[in-house]
Amino acid sequence: MKSLSISIAGFILKLQSDDSIELSLDDGYLPYIIPESPKKPDIIIHCKTPVPAELCNAEDIIFEARNSEKRFYCICKLFDSYKFIIYDQEKEGVIRQIAILNADFSEWTVYSCGHNNDKVFPLHFPMGPIILYYLTVKYDAIMIHASGVVDPLGGRIFMGFSGSGKSTMAAIWQFRGSTIINDDRLIIRKENSNYVMYNTPMFYPDKPKKAVLKQVHIIHHSPENNMVRISGARAVSKVLAFCIQNDFNAGFIEHHLAFLSEMCSKIPVYEVGFKSDPEIVDYIQQHAV
Amino acid sequence: MDLKVLFSRKSNYVARDVNGEKILVPISNNIAEMRRLYTLNEVGAFIWDAIDGKNTFETIVGMVVNEFNTDAETARKDTLEFLQQLQGLISEESTI
Repeated sequence: MKSLSISIAGFILKLQSDDSIELSLDDGYLPYIIPESPKKPDIIIHCKTPVPAELCNAEDIIFEARNSEKRFYCICKLFDSYKFIIYDQEKEGVIRQIAILNADFSEWTVYSCGHNNDKVFPLHFPMGPIILYYLTVKYDAIMIHASGVVDPLGGRIFMGFSGSGKSTMAAIWQFRGSTIINDDRLIIRKENSNYVMYNTPMFYPDKPKKAVLKQVHIIHHSPENNMVRISGARAVSKVLAFCIQNDFNAGFIEHHLAFLSEMCSKIPVYEVGFKSDPEIVDYIQQHAV
Repeated sequence: MDLKVLFSRKSNYVARDVNGEKILVPISNNIAEMRRLYTLNEVGAFIWDAIDGKNTFETIVGMVVNEFNTDAETARKDTLEFLQQLQGLISEESTI
């Protein structure tokens, strides 16, 4: 039996496989590898190959991630567990991975097609982020589309729709001396009385980073810098819109609403219009409560 | 509006109280409609809680008048407008 442990957002994920499988990780995961730990993993991922033909039927679909051109993956109900069918994005209709998630979300079995000289990449996108998402559902956490930065005063996240300037804002803060946690996807966990943001593996290598969250900003481009603090249901619903979610399960929605209700009562949330220049850093620092 | 009509909440939503306000997430075909969230202020949350399958429209209007110290005409207009916005999450039943 081979095994490999990685730590992402403070969670320990243990990957296991038969000796016959060459277990591999994409470059973005390599900085997250940790020595074997006596600590119980938060989830175990059983890695297998090939994809069994009997699991390839897409019946009882409860969720489908797709756009007008492509299917990315679908989720099927399988008794008390879930089956994930991941489609190959290069070859229409070809299944690249099948994954089974058990009832209490503690164990995955990931069947992958072998490639690259029969190396198996069980966490290849989008499988890795899907597994992370279900970790956040199981524990007190959320995964969110946002950029995050940290300076000596604490961590800030910037969220907004595509083109709203998340990466631009992170780069501006970096230019002014902040460290970018990540400019696209974050996990936020409640730890004691703090909310802590973590980066997650991307397609490029980056070391694991985290910061205590002090401010949340919902941003858009504007001719003039402006910001207003929002609170209550308005703040929660605005932030909820940027959470990554498989929204087929009312329990998941309740989980997100409960997490964000508490977070938004403790962390100030601002709507920010900004010009793409470094003045916004001073503006936010002067106007945030 | 029939003043005697009864309103009930359907079960196709997830609700969350936030400091006296409320968020409603409609569920359609088992999928949450995140682009159709309802954010209810204190008055809206009060009316939503009053929709229990027992209170008629007239009763709810009376409750709003008492709770928020407003006149009946304004309460009736606002309540009717609010209930119309909630179409899909509530059902009506005549008491006659």
